[in-house]
Amino acid sequence: MPLALDPAIIGREFDRTVEGPVTADELVAFARALGETRPEYTEAGPALVAHPTYCVRFRGGRFYPEELLKLIDVRSGFDAGKDIQLGAPVRPGDTIEVRSTVHEVYEKTGRTGSMVFVVIRYTLSNQRGEMLAIVDNRFMHR
Amino acid sequence: MPERLRFDDVEEGDELSARSFFLSKDQVRAYARAGGQWSPRFTDDEGARREGLPGMITPGNMSMGLLASFLEAWAGPGTLRRLGTTFRGLVLPDRTIRLCAAVTQKEDASRSVELDVWLESEEAERLVIGTATVALA
Repeated sequence: MPLALDPAIIGREFDRTVEGPVTADELVAFARALGETRPEYTEAGPALVAHPTYCVRFRGGRFYPEELLKLIDVRSGFDAGKDIQLGAPVRPGDTIEVRSTVHEVYEKTGRTGSMVFVVIRYTLSNQRGEMLAIVDNRFMHR
Repeated sequence: MPERLRFDDVEEGDELSARSFFLSKDQVRAYARAGGQWSPRFTDDEGARREGLPGMITPGNMSMGLLASFLEAWAGPGTLRRLGTTFRGLVLPDRTIRLCAAVTQKEDASRSVELDVWLESEEAERLVIGTATVALA
């Protein structure tokens, strides 16, 4: 574990936020911005669902837990990548509960020096308790 | 019912037909607005340069979204189960980009396939790479 972090931080929930309700207009605008024309993603009505990557919009109410903010300057970070595991589709009217945990912290040394990677896991569920997505977001800090 | 690609019609090693298109700054701004990422680095050349970037860039989330749409154009809507990506380089708008994928593995039990996916520049530099799982009929 780099940065003299307490290992107990891993897996601990540090934020729980509820967002929404999601509107049909938001889902359609998102899909169209990606060039989508398929009716499932772009036509308001009972069959409308969110584009599968709509879930990456939701990042909870706090970027990092306090313990990490003391050690890392958030402004030095870059989005290094994401892993999305998809569950039930997001539909208009859904409220989205986002639970944030620190999934992993690791260090790498490259040609340009040392980098710290922080993986935040966002677990998204709707008002029916259905899992919508698990999003692991990797941030890289120099 | 939207048509889904059949598992039996896919072979390991299959390459999807690449999709090339011009990614405009206006499309990136539209995504930044719709995706909740309205920030100078994604919307404005001058603002992005003040952050040390060469000009406005495409959000990594948008690159993921384009790859997801590309995969579902092949397999059918609602077929994507997992997508993992690494953002390796800056995707600069007002250029042509290319979306590519290849089937690496078939899973008989779940009738799903694993793919390598990537977004590359006109010079064939892979700016975003990743893997995906798609469920087929």
